[in-house]
Amino acid sequence: MDFKELDPILHSQLRLAVMSLLISVKEAEFTFLKEKTNATSGNLSVQISKLKEAGYIEITKQFNNNYPQTICKVTPKGILAFENYVKALQSYMTL
Amino acid sequence: MQNAEIKMTEKESLELIATMINKAKNRVSETGTMYLFWGWLILLCCLVHFTALHFFNYPYAYLVWLSTWIVVIVQFFYFRKKKKFKKVTTYTGEINRFVWLVFLVSTLLIIFITIRFKRYELIDPLILVLYGMPTFLSGIILKFKPLIIGGICCWLLSVFSVFIPVEYHSLLIAAAVILAWIIPGYFLKKNFKKENYNGF
Repeated sequence: MDFKELDPILHSQLRLAVMSLLISVKEAEFTFLKEKTNATSGNLSVQISKLKEAGYIEITKQFNNNYPQTICKVTPKGILAFENYVKALQSYMTL
Repeated sequence: MQNAEIKMTEKESLELIATMINKAKNRVSETGTMYLFWGWLILLCCLVHFTALHFFNYPYAYLVWLSTWIVVIVQFFYFRKKKKFKKVTTYTGEINRFVWLVFLVSTLLIIFITIRFKRYELIDPLILVLYGMPTFLSGIILKFKPLIIGGICCWLLSVFSVFIPVEYHSLLIAAAVILAWIIPGYFLKKNFKKENYNGF
Protein backbone atom coordinates (compact mmCIF):
# COMPACT_ATOMS: atom_id res chain seq x y z
CA MET A 1 0.00 0.00 0.00
CA ASP A 2 1.40 3.38 -1.03
CA PHE A 3 0.97 5.92 1.79
CA LYS A 4 0.64 9.51 0.70
CA GLU A 5 1.82 12.11 3.14
CA LEU A 6 -0.89 14.41 4.47
CA ASP A 7 -0.29 18.06 3.55
CA PRO A 8 0.52 19.80 6.89
CA ILE A 9 -1.01 23.06 5.65
CA LEU A 10 -4.38 21.36 5.16
CA HIS A 11 -4.16 18.85 7.99
CA SER A 12 -5.31 21.36 10.57
CA GLN A 13 -8.91 21.80 11.64
CA LEU A 14 -9.61 25.44 10.86
CA ARG A 15 -7.55 25.66 7.66
CA LEU A 16 -9.21 22.50 6.34
CA ALA A 17 -12.65 23.93 7.20
CA VAL A 18 -11.85 27.17 5.35
CA MET A 19 -10.57 25.29 2.29
CA SER A 20 -13.64 23.02 2.25
CA LEU A 21 -15.92 26.07 2.31
CA LEU A 22 -13.97 27.91 -0.39
CA ILE A 23 -13.81 24.86 -2.66
CA SER A 24 -17.63 24.84 -2.79
CA VAL A 25 -18.15 28.51 -3.74
CA LYS A 26 -16.66 30.98 -6.20
CA GLU A 27 -15.56 33.43 -3.51
CA ALA A 28 -16.52 34.27 0.05
CA GLU A 29 -16.17 37.15 2.43
CA PHE A 30 -14.25 36.86 5.72
CA THR A 31 -17.49 37.19 7.73
CA PHE A 32 -19.03 34.24 5.86
CA LEU A 33 -16.04 32.03 6.78
CA LYS A 34 -16.20 33.26 10.38
CA GLU A 35 -19.92 32.53 10.60
CA LYS A 36 -19.60 29.01 9.16
CA THR A 37 -16.51 27.94 11.12
CA ASN A 38 -17.44 29.62 14.43
CA ALA A 39 -13.81 30.74 14.73
CA THR A 40 -12.59 33.98 16.31
CA SER A 41 -11.55 36.78 13.94
CA GLY A 42 -7.94 36.69 15.15
CA ASN A 43 -7.51 32.95 14.72
CA LEU A 44 -9.24 32.91 11.35
CA SER A 45 -7.10 35.82 10.18
CA VAL A 46 -3.88 33.96 11.07
CA GLN A 47 -5.02 30.75 9.35
CA ILE A 48 -6.14 32.39 6.11
CA SER A 49 -2.78 34.20 5.99
CA LYS A 50 -1.05 30.80 6.19
CA LEU A 51 -3.23 29.50 3.33
CA LYS A 52 -2.36 32.60 1.33
CA GLU A 53 1.37 32.16 1.98
CA ALA A 54 1.09 28.58 0.71
CA GLY A 55 -0.55 29.94 -2.45
CA TYR A 56 -3.78 28.00 -1.78
CA ILE A 57 -6.06 31.05 -1.62
CA GLU A 58 -6.16 34.59 -2.93
CA ILE A 59 -7.18 37.44 -0.67
CA THR A 60 -8.60 40.70 -1.96
CA LYS A 61 -9.11 43.57 0.42
CA GLN A 62 -11.50 46.31 -0.56
CA PHE A 63 -13.50 49.11 0.97
CA ASN A 64 -17.22 49.41 0.57
CA ASN A 65 -18.75 52.60 1.98
CA ASN A 66 -15.75 52.89 4.36
CA TYR A 67 -16.42 49.33 5.52
CA PRO A 68 -13.45 46.97 4.96
CA GLN A 69 -14.14 43.72 3.15
CA THR A 70 -11.82 40.72 2.80
CA ILE A 71 -12.73 38.43 -0.07
CA CYS A 72 -11.18 34.96 -0.20
CA LYS A 73 -10.97 32.72 -3.25
CA VAL A 74 -9.34 29.33 -3.73
CA THR A 75 -6.52 29.19 -6.34
CA PRO A 76 -5.86 26.37 -8.87
CA LYS A 77 -2.87 25.37 -6.66
CA GLY A 78 -5.25 25.22 -3.69
CA ILE A 79 -7.73 23.03 -5.60
CA LEU A 80 -4.92 20.62 -6.55
CA ALA A 81 -3.62 20.49 -2.97
CA PHE A 82 -7.14 19.85 -1.68
CA GLU A 83 -7.69 17.04 -4.20
CA ASN A 84 -4.36 15.44 -3.26
CA TYR A 85 -5.20 15.75 0.43
CA VAL A 86 -8.56 13.98 -0.07
CA LYS A 87 -6.86 11.24 -2.13
CA ALA A 88 -4.27 10.77 0.63
CA LEU A 89 -7.04 10.54 3.24
CA GLN A 90 -8.84 7.96 1.13
CA SER A 91 -5.67 5.85 0.84
CA TYR A 92 -5.51 5.71 4.65
CA MET A 93 -9.23 4.98 4.96
CA THR A 94 -9.14 2.01 2.56
CA LEU A 95 -6.68 0.22 4.84
CA MET B 1 -13.37 25.82 16.10
CA GLN B 2 -10.79 27.72 18.13
CA ASN B 3 -7.59 25.76 17.71
CA ALA B 4 -6.28 25.37 14.20
CA GLU B 5 -3.53 22.96 15.19
CA ILE B 6 -5.80 20.29 16.75
CA LYS B 7 -4.69 16.93 15.36
CA MET B 8 -7.38 15.09 13.51
CA THR B 9 -7.75 11.48 12.51
CA GLU B 10 -8.31 10.75 8.81
CA LYS B 11 -11.96 9.98 9.55
CA GLU B 12 -12.42 13.31 11.37
CA SER B 13 -10.81 15.15 8.46
CA LEU B 14 -13.21 13.61 5.96
CA GLU B 15 -16.17 14.36 8.24
CA LEU B 16 -15.08 17.99 8.58
CA ILE B 17 -14.75 18.36 4.79
CA ALA B 18 -18.24 16.89 4.26
CA THR B 19 -19.78 19.13 6.95
CA MET B 20 -18.23 22.30 5.54
CA ILE B 21 -19.14 21.49 1.94
CA ASN B 22 -22.73 20.90 3.07
CA LYS B 23 -22.76 24.16 5.01
CA ALA B 24 -21.68 26.04 1.89
CA LYS B 25 -23.94 24.17 -0.51
CA ASN B 26 -27.12 23.81 1.50
CA ARG B 27 -27.41 27.52 1.90
CA VAL B 28 -30.52 28.23 -0.16
CA SER B 29 -29.80 31.67 -1.53
CA GLU B 30 -32.82 31.89 -3.82
CA THR B 31 -35.49 33.80 -1.92
CA GLY B 32 -38.07 33.78 -4.71
CA THR B 33 -38.49 37.55 -4.37
CA MET B 34 -37.51 38.33 -7.95
CA TYR B 35 -39.81 35.64 -9.36
CA LEU B 36 -42.72 37.00 -7.33
CA PHE B 37 -41.94 40.64 -8.06
CA TRP B 38 -41.63 40.13 -11.82
CA GLY B 39 -44.45 37.60 -11.87
CA TRP B 40 -46.95 40.00 -10.31
CA LEU B 41 -45.71 42.95 -12.36
CA ILE B 42 -46.05 41.13 -15.72
CA LEU B 43 -49.40 39.64 -14.66
CA LEU B 44 -50.71 43.11 -13.86
CA CYS B 45 -49.41 44.49 -17.18
CA CYS B 46 -51.05 41.62 -19.10
CA LEU B 47 -54.41 42.15 -17.42
CA VAL B 48 -54.32 45.95 -17.87
CA HIS B 49 -53.28 45.53 -21.51
CA PHE B 50 -56.02 42.98 -22.21
CA THR B 51 -58.76 44.95 -20.39
CA ALA B 52 -57.84 48.27 -22.05
CA LEU B 53 -57.76 46.72 -25.51
CA HIS B 54 -60.59 44.23 -25.28
CA PHE B 55 -63.18 46.15 -23.24
CA PHE B 56 -62.29 49.80 -23.94
CA ASN B 57 -60.68 49.58 -27.38
CA TYR B 58 -57.88 51.82 -26.15
CA PRO B 59 -55.28 51.88 -28.96
CA TYR B 60 -52.30 52.73 -26.72
CA ALA B 61 -52.86 49.85 -24.28
CA TYR B 62 -49.33 48.58 -25.04
CA LEU B 63 -47.91 51.63 -23.21
CA VAL B 64 -48.43 49.77 -19.92
CA TRP B 65 -45.35 47.69 -20.82
CA LEU B 66 -43.16 50.78 -20.49
CA SER B 67 -43.41 50.29 -16.73
CA THR B 68 -41.23 47.17 -17.07
CA TRP B 69 -38.38 49.27 -18.55
CA ILE B 70 -38.46 51.55 -15.52
CA VAL B 71 -38.33 48.52 -13.25
CA VAL B 72 -35.34 47.07 -15.20
CA ILE B 73 -33.39 50.32 -14.58
CA VAL B 74 -34.33 50.41 -10.86
CA GLN B 75 -33.41 46.73 -10.55
CA PHE B 76 -29.99 47.31 -12.16
CA PHE B 77 -29.06 49.80 -9.41
CA TYR B 78 -30.59 47.59 -6.72
CA PHE B 79 -28.46 44.61 -7.79
CA ARG B 80 -25.30 46.71 -7.96
CA LYS B 81 -25.84 47.81 -4.38
CA LYS B 82 -26.78 44.32 -3.22
CA LYS B 83 -23.67 42.79 -4.84
CA LYS B 84 -21.42 45.03 -2.72
CA PHE B 85 -22.87 43.59 0.49
CA LYS B 86 -22.82 39.97 -0.59
CA LYS B 87 -20.97 37.61 1.73
CA VAL B 88 -20.56 34.76 -0.71
CA THR B 89 -20.74 34.15 -4.45
CA THR B 90 -21.70 30.63 -5.46
CA TYR B 91 -21.13 29.07 -8.88
CA THR B 92 -24.84 28.28 -9.29
CA GLY B 93 -25.83 31.85 -8.39
CA GLU B 94 -23.35 33.21 -10.92
CA ILE B 95 -24.59 30.94 -13.77
CA ASN B 96 -28.21 31.68 -12.87
CA ARG B 97 -27.61 35.43 -13.13
CA PHE B 98 -26.11 35.04 -16.61
CA VAL B 99 -29.04 32.87 -17.72
CA TRP B 100 -31.43 35.71 -16.83
CA LEU B 101 -29.15 38.28 -18.46
CA VAL B 102 -29.23 36.24 -21.69
CA PHE B 103 -33.04 36.16 -21.40
CA LEU B 104 -33.23 39.95 -20.95
CA VAL B 105 -30.98 40.64 -23.96
CA SER B 106 -32.82 38.09 -26.14
CA THR B 107 -36.22 39.53 -25.18
CA LEU B 108 -35.14 43.06 -26.06
CA LEU B 109 -33.76 41.86 -29.41
CA ILE B 110 -36.92 39.88 -30.23
CA ILE B 111 -39.11 42.91 -29.40
CA PHE B 112 -36.88 45.18 -31.49
CA ILE B 113 -36.85 42.82 -34.50
CA THR B 114 -40.60 42.10 -34.47
CA ILE B 115 -41.46 45.80 -34.13
CA ARG B 116 -38.98 46.71 -36.89
CA PHE B 117 -40.69 44.26 -39.27
CA LYS B 118 -44.17 45.20 -37.96
CA ARG B 119 -44.87 41.56 -37.02
CA TYR B 120 -46.58 42.49 -33.76
CA GLU B 121 -48.58 39.25 -33.70
CA LEU B 122 -45.33 37.31 -33.18
CA ILE B 123 -44.21 39.18 -30.04
CA ASP B 124 -46.21 37.19 -27.46
CA PRO B 125 -45.64 33.69 -28.93
CA LEU B 126 -41.88 34.34 -29.20
CA ILE B 127 -41.73 35.81 -25.70
CA LEU B 128 -43.46 32.66 -24.43
CA VAL B 129 -40.70 30.58 -26.05
CA LEU B 130 -38.11 32.81 -24.38
CA TYR B 131 -39.86 32.69 -20.95
CA GLY B 132 -39.50 28.93 -20.99
CA MET B 133 -35.73 28.99 -21.50
CA PRO B 134 -34.45 30.76 -18.31
CA THR B 135 -37.25 29.28 -16.20
CA PHE B 136 -36.39 25.72 -17.27
CA LEU B 137 -32.62 26.29 -16.90
CA SER B 138 -33.02 27.90 -13.46
CA GLY B 139 -35.04 24.85 -12.44
CA ILE B 140 -32.17 22.59 -13.55
CA ILE B 141 -29.49 24.75 -11.88
CA LEU B 142 -31.39 25.06 -8.59
CA LYS B 143 -32.67 21.45 -8.84
CA PHE B 144 -36.17 22.84 -8.39
CA LYS B 145 -39.03 21.00 -10.12
CA PRO B 146 -41.72 23.77 -10.08
CA LEU B 147 -39.46 25.93 -12.27
CA ILE B 148 -38.78 23.05 -14.68
CA ILE B 149 -42.53 22.42 -14.99
CA GLY B 150 -43.11 26.19 -15.34
CA GLY B 151 -40.62 26.35 -18.21
CA ILE B 152 -42.32 23.46 -20.02
CA CYS B 153 -45.72 25.16 -19.51
CA CYS B 154 -44.38 28.30 -21.24
CA TRP B 155 -43.37 26.26 -24.28
CA LEU B 156 -46.76 24.51 -24.39
CA LEU B 157 -48.50 27.89 -24.18
CA SER B 158 -46.36 29.18 -27.08
CA VAL B 159 -47.61 26.28 -29.21
CA PHE B 160 -51.19 26.98 -28.07
CA SER B 161 -50.82 30.67 -29.03
CA VAL B 162 -50.66 29.73 -32.72
CA PHE B 163 -54.26 28.44 -32.55
CA ILE B 164 -55.99 31.34 -30.80
CA PRO B 165 -56.74 34.96 -31.86
CA VAL B 166 -53.91 37.45 -31.28
CA GLU B 167 -56.02 39.65 -28.95
CA TYR B 168 -56.02 36.81 -26.37
CA HIS B 169 -52.24 36.34 -26.44
CA SER B 170 -51.66 38.62 -23.47
CA LEU B 171 -53.84 36.23 -21.41
CA LEU B 172 -51.45 33.40 -22.33
CA ILE B 173 -48.55 35.50 -21.06
CA ALA B 174 -50.55 36.00 -17.84
CA ALA B 175 -51.03 32.24 -17.52
CA ALA B 176 -47.31 31.71 -18.22
CA VAL B 177 -46.16 34.06 -15.45
CA ILE B 178 -48.54 32.45 -12.96
CA LEU B 179 -47.21 28.96 -13.82
CA ALA B 180 -43.54 29.81 -14.36
CA TRP B 181 -42.81 32.59 -11.89
CA ILE B 182 -45.58 33.22 -9.33
CA ILE B 183 -46.28 29.64 -8.21
CA PRO B 184 -42.55 28.60 -8.16
CA GLY B 185 -41.79 31.95 -6.48
CA TYR B 186 -44.04 31.13 -3.53
CA PHE B 187 -42.51 27.63 -3.26
CA LEU B 188 -39.00 29.15 -3.30
CA LYS B 189 -39.96 31.66 -0.63
CA LYS B 190 -41.34 28.88 1.55
CA ASN B 191 -38.17 26.76 1.08
CA PHE B 192 -35.90 29.72 1.78
CA LYS B 193 -37.65 30.42 5.08
CA LYS B 194 -37.50 26.75 6.02
CA GLU B 195 -33.79 26.30 5.17
CA ASN B 196 -32.47 29.59 6.52
CA TYR B 197 -34.26 29.70 9.82
CA ASN B 198 -33.75 26.03 10.75
CA GLY B 199 -30.20 25.13 11.62
CA PHE B 200 -27.06 26.73 10.25
